[in-house]
Amino acid sequence: MPDAAATEVALGGSADAALAFLTEMSPDLRGAAILGADGTVLAAVGESERWGEDAIALLVAADRAEGEAVEQVHVATEQGEVFALRHEGLIAIAVTERFALASLMLFDMRSTLRELAKGDLSPAGGGQPTEDEG
Amino acid sequence: MPPKPHRILLDRVSGYADEAAAYVRRRRISRRPFARLYYANGRSVETGHSDAGAELFVAAGRLIEVAGRRAKK
Repeated sequence: MPDAAATEVALGGSADAALAFLTEMSPDLRGAAILGADGTVLAAVGESERWGEDAIALLVAADRAEGEAVEQVHVATEQGEVFALRHEGLIAIAVTERFALASLMLFDMRSTLRELAKGDLSPAGGGQPTEDEG
Repeated sequence: MPPKPHRILLDRVSGYADEAAAYVRRRRISRRPFARLYYANGRSVETGHSDAGAELFVAAGRLIEVAGRRAKK
């Protein structure tokens, strides 16, 4: 039986690959992070601690708005746009330039999380998810 | 006397440029800040003008700060 710490390390390595792939795919992306369901930062561009705190603050505020857990959040401000997505027990947060294409961004985030959850994004495998979504 | 061909071309190109500039200007003006939430059942709500919306803008502002201004392109 694999121990929990080893699994966490393996997922963290895959999350780095997933984040690298997401960054490469999205030209409007300024920064992003991937979190576990419990809020643990698995991968982040820059300060992972702050990403974790602020991402959880965003999701808590979003869940409180209607008293129901959200699946996606899209906040657009004058300074940039923020996307958050819960999928397959993982959380992706992305900050983009203004006027980024929301549907494309969320599609990329969703496919990245799906591949990460499936375990198809290994650090050694180059982090190329399969494109099986229509 | 008909206008010179290059003038027609110039007028056409500057016409397109004016249209494009006007489109971008309209889009910038009409695209106000917003906060949209989407739920698993397909429902979505816009919360920009509520207290919850204000909290979302604050949290989003912090994330934007963490990400920095650097864009990849």
